[in-house]
Amino acid sequence: MIEVLNLNGGVMRQGIDSGGKQHFFPTTGVLKFAGLVIIMIGILIFGGGVALNPAIAADTTINCDAHKGVCSQSSGDLTVALEITPRPVKAMQDLVFKVSITGASPAEPPHIDLGMPAMKMGPNRVALKPLGSGIYEGSGVIVRCKSGRRTWFANVIVPAAGEVKFIFDVIY
Amino acid sequence: MSLYPLPVRLNLYSMSFIDPLYPLFLVTGFTVGFGHCIGMCGPIVISLSLNLKDKNRFIPHLLYNSGRVVTYSILGGVMGATGSFTLVASHIAGIQKGAMIFAGILIILMGLAMSGLISFGKVFGDSYNPGGFISRGFQRLSRTKSPAAYFPIGLILGLLPCGPVYTALLAAAGAGMKAAGPLEAIITGMGVMMCFGLGTVPALFLVAKLADMGWLKKRELIYRIGAVLMIAVGVYFIIKGLRY
Repeated sequence: MIEVLNLNGGVMRQGIDSGGKQHFFPTTGVLKFAGLVIIMIGILIFGGGVALNPAIAADTTINCDAHKGVCSQSSGDLTVALEITPRPVKAMQDLVFKVSITGASPAEPPHIDLGMPAMKMGPNRVALKPLGSGIYEGSGVIVRCKSGRRTWFANVIVPAAGEVKFIFDVIY
Repeated sequence: MSLYPLPVRLNLYSMSFIDPLYPLFLVTGFTVGFGHCIGMCGPIVISLSLNLKDKNRFIPHLLYNSGRVVTYSILGGVMGATGSFTLVASHIAGIQKGAMIFAGILIILMGLAMSGLISFGKVFGDSYNPGGFISRGFQRLSRTKSPAAYFPIGLILGLLPCGPVYTALLAAAGAGMKAAGPLEAIITGMGVMMCFGLGTVPALFLVAKLADMGWLKKRELIYRIGAVLMIAVGVYFIIKGLRY
């Protein structure tokens, strides 16, 4: 194997395989450059892509219009209704989450995990307190994402009964 | 004068200094660091790295990250003391907007300085006379030859609005509400945010390391392309800041 200077001034390793065909292996310098370009492109895609498409949330199907009122979802025998107030549902304000459960009688109160489908936002859990008759309530905050993405989920977790995910848009 | 020693009077011994939230948010900071923070602070870190050129890069990055963690900790303390995330968040929204615009201007300036398109030297660490078209704050920073300049940059950019930071602040406020007293509330809030901030450091150091490519800085064309990309990112930051 020999090293040759390519037209751009970079060094390429030139080899000949068993079939007599020439091939080139990039040097570590070229690989490093490629790595930096990938980082730069990644940053631009993250920033630019989000800037151009602020409402896009990949792999997300909105199944709840939280601004209009109560949303209901089922999973097996478990049916959960979720109401978020005040409406319209805005980020960065105190919200009340009211959950109504039918088809299960949890021994412990359920809780809600809030997050974004398209981005890790850290643990944001809403503890719910029983109000009686399968109704629970708790307060929490949906934080604002600088990217401009507005789609959030509220995963209602009912101990020993299952969980139901509500996906909805919020207002920034 | 009380006969009890100060720690007893301040109820320090009853505090849970090893709050379960600390390791939780240390890990959270670490995990979101490799996704969210690289996208958010990556351009800034790359800008700092490329501008440092042949200088010692570890200390400036350490100071930058220390500044960030200090700001997070202070915000956490305030959140813990008030126990209200929304109250504090609404008051600092304007400051965060300013921080975002500041970050954008900073990245653009560094990009311009690196590109050579506008010959006003290096923004940090070298003799540099901006000629009056940059704010006084930038002039002061630019004249500082010590890497200590990166600490206040970290302090300011720690205010950048960011979803995971908000989530950690929310936890800090929640911990403050549950605390037995004001001092415990402040310490717990600070602890949560300090752990979160420390968790984000490895990701940003990795970005800094990847950008610290001596061979790259010798190639002027590549260097200028990188500078143009940074200017674009800086413009994006400013636009987002203005819209925030």
